[in-house]
Amino acid sequence: MNEEKKVTKKKNILLSVTALLLLCVLLFPLYWAFITSLKTEQEIFQNPPTFYPHILNLKSYAAQVETGDFNMFRSFANSFLISLGATVIAVLLAVPASYGIAKYRFKARKGMLLSFLVTQMLPVSVLLTPMFIMFKNMHVYNTWISAVLADATIGIPFSVLILKNYFASIPKDLEEAAYLDGCNRFTAFVRILIPIAKPGVMVCAIFSFLYAWGDLAYGMTFILDQEKRPITAGIFNFMGQYGTKWSYLTAFAVVTIIPVALIFIFMQKYIVSGMTSGAVKG
Amino acid sequence: MGKIKKIFRYDNVGILFVLPAFVYMLIFVGYPIIRNVILSFQDVTAANLVRGDKTFILFDNYRELFADSVFVTSLFNTLRYTVLCLVFQFVIGFLLALFFNQRFSFARPVRGILLVPWMIPVTVTALMFRLLFATDIGVINYILRSLHLIGENIEWLTTPGTAMFALICANVWIGIPFNMILISTGLTTIPKELYESASIDGANKIETFFHITLPLLKPTIESVLILGFIYTFKVYDLVYVMTSGGPVNSTHMLSTYSYKLSFEMFKYSKGSAVANVLLVILLIVGVFYIKATTKGEEEE
Amino acid sequence: MKKKRVISLLAVLAMTIGMLTGCGSSAQTQDGAKPEESGGEAQDSPADASAEAEGNGGEAVTIWYYWETEGHQVALDQVIQEYNASQDTYEVTAKYVPFADFKKQLSIGASADELPDIAILDSPDHASYVEMGIFEDLTGKFDVSSYYEGTVNSCTVDGKLYGIPFGANCLALYYNEDLLTAAGCKVPETWDELMDAAKALTTDSVTGLALCSVQNEEGTFNFVPWLWSTGATSYDINNENGIRALTFIQNLINEGVMSKECINWTQGDVMNQFISGNVAMMENGPWQIPTMQAEAPDLNWKVTLIPKDSQYASVLGGENYAVINGGNVDGALDFLTYATSEEKVKFLMDKFGYISADKMIAENQFEADSPYTPFVEELNYAMPRGPLAEWPGVSDAISLAFNQVITGTATPEDAAAGAQATIDGIVK
Repeated sequence: MNEEKKVTKKKNILLSVTALLLLCVLLFPLYWAFITSLKTEQEIFQNPPTFYPHILNLKSYAAQVETGDFNMFRSFANSFLISLGATVIAVLLAVPASYGIAKYRFKARKGMLLSFLVTQMLPVSVLLTPMFIMFKNMHVYNTWISAVLADATIGIPFSVLILKNYFASIPKDLEEAAYLDGCNRFTAFVRILIPIAKPGVMVCAIFSFLYAWGDLAYGMTFILDQEKRPITAGIFNFMGQYGTKWSYLTAFAVVTIIPVALIFIFMQKYIVSGMTSGAVKG
Repeated sequence: MGKIKKIFRYDNVGILFVLPAFVYMLIFVGYPIIRNVILSFQDVTAANLVRGDKTFILFDNYRELFADSVFVTSLFNTLRYTVLCLVFQFVIGFLLALFFNQRFSFARPVRGILLVPWMIPVTVTALMFRLLFATDIGVINYILRSLHLIGENIEWLTTPGTAMFALICANVWIGIPFNMILISTGLTTIPKELYESASIDGANKIETFFHITLPLLKPTIESVLILGFIYTFKVYDLVYVMTSGGPVNSTHMLSTYSYKLSFEMFKYSKGSAVANVLLVILLIVGVFYIKATTKGEEEE
Repeated sequence: MKKKRVISLLAVLAMTIGMLTGCGSSAQTQDGAKPEESGGEAQDSPADASAEAEGNGGEAVTIWYYWETEGHQVALDQVIQEYNASQDTYEVTAKYVPFADFKKQLSIGASADELPDIAILDSPDHASYVEMGIFEDLTGKFDVSSYYEGTVNSCTVDGKLYGIPFGANCLALYYNEDLLTAAGCKVPETWDELMDAAKALTTDSVTGLALCSVQNEEGTFNFVPWLWSTGATSYDINNENGIRALTFIQNLINEGVMSKECINWTQGDVMNQFISGNVAMMENGPWQIPTMQAEAPDLNWKVTLIPKDSQYASVLGGENYAVINGGNVDGALDFLTYATSEEKVKFLMDKFGYISADKMIAENQFEADSPYTPFVEELNYAMPRGPLAEWPGVSDAISLAFNQVITGTATPEDAAAGAQATIDGIVK
């Protein structure tokens, strides 16, 4: 708990080993998916199961690259574009909103907070038809914009709820000091508060991105052209086409995971430190 | 003049910050909610979806639902599933957050990598867990057999009780990083001086946890739990891919049943009614949350 | 250091905003060009744009279909390309909507008035959409007199024709001949013989029989042949016959000759189990044949009629073309006239592994020793599901009853009574 205090060397080793063990246990499903994708179908059905592929089979990966209408790379680009768009909208709208809710005591505050929550309370199945009608009238049906607009509705309330705690934990005197320096409310918000709440903003951006990235229902329903659909839609093709042909399905899973994981690992330094670097330093 | 001033009083300016997000949500989700309430009081099926009269039958849909055994099962399933998932993923997530909050060499990178389960689209996760829990080729059965915990393979996904268990496992797996990272970020908002002064006062670790960490984390914990509750309660993709509500409807949730009624059976109004039951339950939880979090704030 | 990070972050943000607005404006221009039509694709890549430009510039006619098999998609596409090249009044484009999403997309499309001009849909759902009022009355516009009666019935409501059968298929019994010979069994013709054969074929690594038992329309499709073989109908299950069918399936499970996992296996999964040699016999359709021949060319299998209880029975499957009213009806009719010509039907059926819904074509479609031939014979015993607008409800009750006996959560008697209560509530 004592963040600043470095642990002793012995303890460091003990904790590090524990951490690695935890990692192995928690990521085992991923490892299993990965090795399954490299096995032949016969080996998958082998009993007892093998914990690494005895015969390396890369055929299932070759099948991913292009089947019919479905183009893996384009789907990735689509997913990326949609998720990025949704993230930008969510962050731009949620950051000020959470600040407003955290720092001001206006009348409609409770009601607004509750309504943000309420928007998350309907299952997707009943949102699809009315949203579809709206997007059609807005002339964005069957474009990636429709998925961006819909996906942002998941990220906004989430971010508001998480960020409001952040802004609330920032001492008032910081803000007041900014006013003394000649800031007005808006500039104080932009120059002082947002930088302090950066870890929270980061988390919200990441979660908004991932919510959009994992979305299937919106992308499938509002975008009809295969070439504009996100990567998650491809899962349906594969499930339909290959049933439980596990080598293919797990190869697909691995291929969908790798780019995100790579981006994440490369940016880890920024993301993780952004998320957890000491927020309130007074 | 005085009135205008009052409107732009310090606190009321805050509404301007909230308004853009609020309006956005109102446009995109407000209309669906209202439409759904109306639809649930009507008798819309394939016959009158496009043409013909839509008659208001008020609460008939709801009355029929509570006489429908699948609906009742899915209601209890949803509650059971949500509570169990929440307990496990929150406790494990919290413990991991505390663990990785210590300063040791691998703390940050490992915590970062543990986020990966959260990046995987739920549909893919569901597929992976179907593989893990498969009867004959499933590695979970193999491990249990090797440890002599079971004599024969368990038919996880084809037996009602165990299918639910498998779903909960998958959801907890997804939920752990979610809880862990949000609590980790919450921990960073606690000023370190507090811990320092506590240790000077001779408080031990358990005391500091209950007297400093928990109280200061309360807002974060509340948010994490309410969000977790809402997102778990309306689970859809995971159940749809892993069990599709089966075997014999034993893992239907309100959301999957609503989908089935609307889009497979053409009973649109009934599907809406199920969704509204889900909404009402969440609304009650939401009101409690708002009450709990804003209590005593007004006097600040 | 810290400052640098903030700056880079802002730069990224600015870039993304730039991207968003940049793309937003290009989308704006699309809006003018009717984004719901193919015009929206222009932005994707130059290759696509040129592919679009190659179109014949005729009036747009769109088709929705749900076949995920690549061979099916390619075959349909070829017919469409040929049609587009043969005239320049209409330009047909086809869109793949996954099967799991097809009903939803049609329902939503109907609410939002955003439908294709032609839908190629699963035949048991046809009546529901007719009731929805989205299909054009085609009575008298096509000659379906030589078509199999069941296929025509599936798109007929109140004596009016609301669709044209695309092609027919039915279920039959596949068996692994090598395994059967090794076990010393003869090809089963009755349920008793089937049970005996399945027992003889079952070993540690092989189960005797598999049939797709998922709890949805696909499962119902695979159950009704057994139900109907006893003389029971889809609407009358709670009697000696219905219970006998349920008991038979239950016995298959209890004897260990069929795996409970079948409730998670689609027909494609069942086929994969069969060609991997894990299953010795399976109930499946002719559309699997092209895949089986390609993926397991050495497997020695044959097809026979589904063994009978009191009478041979099978179930009629396949898709129907339907024309959406309010769309480009003339274009749709023109294309369908083209696609239902004998030559095109033969081509499509061949590539699909389907049997023509047109008896005249079907009878000469295959050589005597073709693996498809047993299916043509089975087709004589095949009956359609419904047609009934409320079929999804009936189907749900049937597949539930079968799943209950498979998982052992209800006795055949209770399952039959439960299904009957639901069905009586639907078909009064």
